[in-house]
Amino acid sequence: TRSCLLCVKMTKLGFLRLSYEKQDTLLKLLILSMAAHPNTCLNELFLVGSYFNYRTTRFLTEEGFYKFHNWFDDRAWYPLGRIIGGTIYPGLMITSAALYHVLHFFHITIDIRNVCVFLAPLFSSFTAIVTYHFTKELKDAGAGLLAAAMIAVVPGYISRSVAGSYDNEGTILSQRYVVYSNAFKKASIGKVLEFVKYQIETYTLLFKSLVLFLYWLMLGKISPWTGRFYSLLDPSYAKNNIPIIASVSEHQPTTWSSYYFDLQLLVFMFPVGLYYCFNNLSDATIFIIMYGVTSMYFSAVMVRLMLVLAPVMCILSGIGVSQVLTTYMKNLDVSRPDKKSKKQQDSTYPIKNEVASGMILVMAFFLITYTFHSTWVTSEAYSSPSIVLSARGGDGSRIIFDDFREAYYWLRHNTPEDAKVMSWWDYGYQITAMANRTILVDNNTWNNTHISRVGQAMASTEEKAYEIMRELDVSYVLVIFGGLTGYSSDDINKFLWMVRIGGSTDTGRHIKEHDYYTPTGEFRVDREGSPVLLNCLMYKMCYYRFGQVYTEAKRPPGYDRVRNAEIGNKDFELDVLEEAYTTEHWLVRIYKVKDLDNRGLSRT
Amino acid sequence: METCYVKLPTLILMWRAGAGSFALIACFFRASLCAEGLVNEDVKRTLDLSSHLAKITAEIQLANHGASRVSGFTLALEAELAPHLAFIGASVKGEEEEDESLELKETTVHGQSGKFFEAQLPSSLAPGAKLRVKVETVFSHMLKPFPTHITQAERQLVVFQGNHYLYSPYPTRSQTTRVRLASKTVESYTKLGNPTKSDETVEYGPFKDVPPFSQDAMKIHYENNTPFITISSVTRTIEVSHWGNIAVEETIDLRHTGAFLKGPFSRYDYQRQSDSGISSVKSFKTILPASAQDVYYRDEIGNISTSHLQVLDDSVEVEIRPRFPLFGGWKTHYIIGYNLPSYEYLYNLGDQYALKIRLVDHVYDDQVIDQLTVKLILPEGARNIHVDTPYPITRSQDELHYTYLDTFGRPVLVATKNNLVEQHIQDVVVHYTFNKILMLQEPLLVVGLFYILFFTVIIYVRLDFSITKDPAAEVRMKVASITEQVLTLVNKRLGLYRHMDEVVNRYKQTRDTGALNSGRKTLEAEHRTLSNDISALQARLKAEGSDLAEKVGEIQKLDNQLKDLVCRSCQEAERLVAGKVKKDAYIDSDKTLSGKRQELVSRIDSLLDAL
Repeated sequence: TRSCLLCVKMTKLGFLRLSYEKQDTLLKLLILSMAAHPNTCLNELFLVGSYFNYRTTRFLTEEGFYKFHNWFDDRAWYPLGRIIGGTIYPGLMITSAALYHVLHFFHITIDIRNVCVFLAPLFSSFTAIVTYHFTKELKDAGAGLLAAAMIAVVPGYISRSVAGSYDNEGTILSQRYVVYSNAFKKASIGKVLEFVKYQIETYTLLFKSLVLFLYWLMLGKISPWTGRFYSLLDPSYAKNNIPIIASVSEHQPTTWSSYYFDLQLLVFMFPVGLYYCFNNLSDATIFIIMYGVTSMYFSAVMVRLMLVLAPVMCILSGIGVSQVLTTYMKNLDVSRPDKKSKKQQDSTYPIKNEVASGMILVMAFFLITYTFHSTWVTSEAYSSPSIVLSARGGDGSRIIFDDFREAYYWLRHNTPEDAKVMSWWDYGYQITAMANRTILVDNNTWNNTHISRVGQAMASTEEKAYEIMRELDVSYVLVIFGGLTGYSSDDINKFLWMVRIGGSTDTGRHIKEHDYYTPTGEFRVDREGSPVLLNCLMYKMCYYRFGQVYTEAKRPPGYDRVRNAEIGNKDFELDVLEEAYTTEHWLVRIYKVKDLDNRGLSRT
Repeated sequence: METCYVKLPTLILMWRAGAGSFALIACFFRASLCAEGLVNEDVKRTLDLSSHLAKITAEIQLANHGASRVSGFTLALEAELAPHLAFIGASVKGEEEEDESLELKETTVHGQSGKFFEAQLPSSLAPGAKLRVKVETVFSHMLKPFPTHITQAERQLVVFQGNHYLYSPYPTRSQTTRVRLASKTVESYTKLGNPTKSDETVEYGPFKDVPPFSQDAMKIHYENNTPFITISSVTRTIEVSHWGNIAVEETIDLRHTGAFLKGPFSRYDYQRQSDSGISSVKSFKTILPASAQDVYYRDEIGNISTSHLQVLDDSVEVEIRPRFPLFGGWKTHYIIGYNLPSYEYLYNLGDQYALKIRLVDHVYDDQVIDQLTVKLILPEGARNIHVDTPYPITRSQDELHYTYLDTFGRPVLVATKNNLVEQHIQDVVVHYTFNKILMLQEPLLVVGLFYILFFTVIIYVRLDFSITKDPAAEVRMKVASITEQVLTLVNKRLGLYRHMDEVVNRYKQTRDTGALNSGRKTLEAEHRTLSNDISALQARLKAEGSDLAEKVGEIQKLDNQLKDLVCRSCQEAERLVAGKVKKDAYIDSDKTLSGKRQELVSRIDSLLDAL
């Protein structure tokens, strides 16, 4: 549609003296190459999962496939370890390692790190191309081009495919769509729509087996093994049963604002596309309707599944917008204003031309605001590595908090090679990748009891915690503390989850969530706070010597800027730990676990 | 009887030693000849211990008290100090205040421990003559922290152990030793000859008539909070490109070699109290060449955001701030790199090239490098490589380096050296030959690759690789080619009419009926052939089933009318010339005719556009 208009214009201007088809191809290529142009800027890894994937890829390129396959990682989940070769999906690593070797064969000496960083944008540009073909099969080339242009900038997908996010999620989409569009291409040529039938059959089969499975589960014959999966089917499942899944921020239900933030125009054009598909029911459109509606449901369950929704949103909105445009573009009277034709105007549609041009202007306006919104969201929310925080200073200048890397790098160079670091699992992958030290729990939260043990240590008194830490052979403990800078997602704010997870297993039965609340049921760190909280290990590690610090003018020392309260337990010494390192802005604090005293005297 | 008994075997032994023994004696003789008669008349020693290095400078007045001329002299270092020696240099103080540095060669002195260097004088010293010599030595890791472990609140104390006297193979008449310290706080110092201590200096001497190779232990225990950082290893990679760029990258391992930090590190104290962790290192300045560009400072986990760059007139200053302050025993690792324009460092004469660049560069003031590895990557195809180093350095096996668009690899010169200080910042010169034609290799490679790419695309597009026939597409292509032909033919035919107009106009002026008739005949003939061709094409279009055939038919119809009009205007012109019509009437009719023609032509054009 747009391309037709452009074509006409171009021939009129005499730019191109090509046949119509050639013009069409050229324009399609232009639009697609623009849509498929990878949006890249930095060469740092962004997301938490990326660090792990990067580490494994480096291992694969350095050590070869068979060593990778047999890799037992003793750096993670101490003392259990993790059989990496057998427990991960190696597709991503193998792809980048292959790319790396091919490039090096041609003496294009790119660092494996850069391969990893730029793999996601590369694949997202493939996604744009594939989306075009997929949508073309569903409607026409115009809708395909629109969908491709939309997916090129949609924040919901960019958040997972910017340079530096090195994850399966970002790259898998393009591959999936290749399969779909191939299937539809075959179908549209005239062969039987076996593929979709097959898909539907698999879905029904899956559903049947699920019902069966749940039935068995109710009988208690199968132990629950994938909590994330249940929570997809029943959003309230995790909240009630598995605190570890409920605790992850990515697993929270999606809010309306985040739909608008990540999709903007697509939210409104999605139903239009659905309407079109319902109007033109065919096997392919039925498939896309099902796909769209189920993704909608899943994305509402967890924020992270926004990624699944974004592309199908683009496809359906592409169809919708294209449909609106073609409808009104036809009514648009582009011929010279002839007096005769005006007289012949349809009496049932009085201001046809004006309505059409108005509609097209409105659509163009929406599309333009969509691109502006997407650029803004991407630059504001998804372009800075989550490892570097920034804030505006009093004079408007930008202050960078690079404390995470400061701490990890300190660990990497100034602790013994075999040191074991205990931290909450959120920082596990980062510590193994950046600090190159052994950790107890990491982001692959497969072992609930182990994480629970760490939670118990954090939630116990020093004395109890020391026993657990000796048992786990911990040499350093790392906590994230935002009280000085006002960084709100720190360990004190996550602490209730540690309590819940710590108390969810047998060994932590004595840890009760309500002990950490005030009698009125509040979670407070000031003088009113529960004494159990004020004396637990986490509290002490975060606030050690913080009682002397003046954080804000006209406030007493030890004023926590996240909780907005003066801390309740100020003057205490640590018995079993000593401060090993605290970063410049106190964001990361590392403590060393003291050895046992001579003659076996207890530390406390 | 007994004396004789002892003496005899000695004599026999001496005889038995023969020629070898003779050589040894000769050697000893020569060495002592050097020393013969030389006396250190006056010695002023300065021990600069104000940084983490021990810099010992001695100004010596040498006098030749012997009978013969002396061409050189020997410098000696104590056995305890020798392993720490990083740099030694000697110069002669000229009368015009111009120092002339001397070449030093390591030798041995029989029966004495230590390290010895022989200095060759530029002109030999006559008997009785005097000479002023300045000897500069720098020792690394000579200052030992004591206590070896301190807490964050404590200050760093170090011990220096050396010699009160100048260690020399010659007798010394008079000497003084002046020690410069880093602070006023001195725990203890040896009290030989009642030294005087003021603020930060201790002065010993003068000591009179000290025999050769005298040693007397000096020990100073004092506070020194200067940055005790050591580069435990640095790899400096210099990559030369003949396209105008030299890329330099230094991978540096840094370690604080002062007293180890004992106990906890408290950020609170470190931020609140200015003297907390006084011996720690927060940052230092690295001075890069003035033309350095695109400076980067990073490590294994990414860019280090805590650094500042200042461009000065004669240098670029980078304030390197490690991610964390360095306390005793802590270490860090980082990479710094930059680009230099090659015209400042690369010289050539035809195919002969010379690269003159610093073998090692400034990292921080009073730097110590334990281990240096230099990798010089020359362009692909560089041959006859010859290296001139300012001081001896160990060359390793050359390597090959492959990067973008390389085919047979770039030669890499690898060299290593241990224990370097600031005085080693000197230029190395690498000579090599390089055939300039090779410069074209890489662009040609790129051109070739693109050529192959486009060529395959051309082939792919031109040839039909499909296994099934698509009749519709073929018809479309055929129709397209036919319409193309129709277009050219119709345009040609329209051209005929224009040509006819010209003929008519000329006829109106010249009244040459013959020319008009012949013109009309050619028009008729050509018009017939063109029209026939177009009809044939129209028939083919119809055969292909294209609806364009109708349009072509319409064009034909319009063209017939057009041709009639052209003929009419021709006749009108004839009648005018014959005087059958008046001029006014002719102009009127001509106007209507041309108006009609205009309309027909525009209709044909619009039809053509639609084709």
